[in-house]
Amino acid sequence: MKQDELGNRADAVSNDSDRKRRWITGEGMVSIVTVLILVVLWTALTDSYIDDLYFPSPMDTIQVVGRMEGVLVGYFLATMYRVVVGMLIGAVLGVVCGVAMSWNKWINSVLDPLIEGLRPIPAVALIPFFILWFGIGDTGKLILTAIGGFTVMVVTTLEAIKHVSPIYIMAARTLGASRLEIYRTIILPAITPTLIGGVRVTVALSFALVIASEFMGAQSGLGYMIMLARRTLQTDAILVGVIIIGITSWIVDRCVRIVGNYLTRWAPRSE
Amino acid sequence: MSAYISIADVTKSFDGTSGRIDALHQVNLDVPTGEFLCLVGPSGCGKSTLVFIIAGLVKASSGEVRVAGKPVIEPDPDRTMVFQGDAVFPWMTVAQNIGYGLRYTPMSKKEQDKTVNQLIQLVGLTGFADAFPKELSGGMKKRVDLARAYATNPTVLLMDEPFGALDAITKEKMQVDLMRLSVTDTGQRRTIVFVTHDLEEAIFLADRVAVMTPRPGAIQTVLDVPFPRPREASIRLSTQFQALRGQIRELLVTEEEES
Repeated sequence: MKQDELGNRADAVSNDSDRKRRWITGEGMVSIVTVLILVVLWTALTDSYIDDLYFPSPMDTIQVVGRMEGVLVGYFLATMYRVVVGMLIGAVLGVVCGVAMSWNKWINSVLDPLIEGLRPIPAVALIPFFILWFGIGDTGKLILTAIGGFTVMVVTTLEAIKHVSPIYIMAARTLGASRLEIYRTIILPAITPTLIGGVRVTVALSFALVIASEFMGAQSGLGYMIMLARRTLQTDAILVGVIIIGITSWIVDRCVRIVGNYLTRWAPRSE
Repeated sequence: MSAYISIADVTKSFDGTSGRIDALHQVNLDVPTGEFLCLVGPSGCGKSTLVFIIAGLVKASSGEVRVAGKPVIEPDPDRTMVFQGDAVFPWMTVAQNIGYGLRYTPMSKKEQDKTVNQLIQLVGLTGFADAFPKELSGGMKKRVDLARAYATNPTVLLMDEPFGALDAITKEKMQVDLMRLSVTDTGQRRTIVFVTHDLEEAIFLADRVAVMTPRPGAIQTVLDVPFPRPREASIRLSTQFQALRGQIRELLVTEEEES
């Protein structure tokens, strides 16, 4: 029987590497074809029926990128800085507070009403106050983004801890683990898969918050660029901004998924 | 032999959604050093609760459990437990799982690795040290669980229907392995309390079988199992074995009818 089990495992491993050896899968091919069809449709429609002012053609869009290259990089970096730093501050604080609240009921009693009071307010509604308090620089945007990420991650963390299977905690207790050790070796790894999901929501939210705050008051960033282009009806520049935001948001999400998959490589997955 | 585990007047009631439930009522039982005791009883009779109380995971409402003369207040790595469900930590490798309890002992990292390697061989998982539990079958995971419970070299081993989820053949192999492993490095026998609803399993493994009453659970009868050790799997077919099985079955059936 052990032979059999060993054999099965060897099979599973070779299947895995089979998948990796293939350059692209059938499903991947279908996705690429879908994107290509969209680009062709886009070209065809903007060449014929649709006025460039309402929706620029692919060629116009590429030309704008060439024309604006200098400022574009600067705006892109300004936005990325706000997204990444704001998100990291918010997410780390969220996880730390969530863990602290589950650790100690007094910490929970203090933080719970504050968080529950903050959570129903859409963070964008606070932008006018933030401009008033912090001006149109980075500080207000970072705090706003951090608040958004914080509320998502604190709730995700609390829920995840609540659902850690008690059998793992009991097993660790019988083997001599202290409470601190149970948090470090059982609860943190057990909630990681759920936290990765929370981080992915946070990434999308952070982009939305940074762009919105750049609309309302900024001197740099992709949101600022879109706002300027709107005033002069430069729809091609607006589209470039939108596409860059879309692609970077996708790349950041992809990175989170790759890191997340590595951190949760132990978890059984359904395909 | 002296009583190593002594359970005195243990009562336990829970406040459930449908009111107060009395799980255990005045349980009294002594388990001598080195004895293998099986607890059997109708489902819901509180046999698992009793084992959790001995482990220190659940507090008794009244009464006391003493192990080696000291009252049980909290879990202790000298009393490890194998659970009914899958308690192997999925985020740790086989070796990390087995060595988990050793982290909290004064043992050096080198000695820990040595102990873990020995246990991996002992439970027949050679070559799987760095595998994650998701790559293992149910039977192999139970072996990891067993090895982890043995690693801290406990004097008491508590088992709550550990093989309940395994198929018949794997279960028999695990039982044989368990008997082989229930001796410490120094040749001393561990004191084991083993919960099961499988009467053949109980008789095959135990020195004594304690039969519990339906809820609220109490010890009804304690029967001696006379078979010498080491026991062969074939003793299950002997008339004496089957007679004992019938006797215990009779006790359980009459109780169900009376309650």
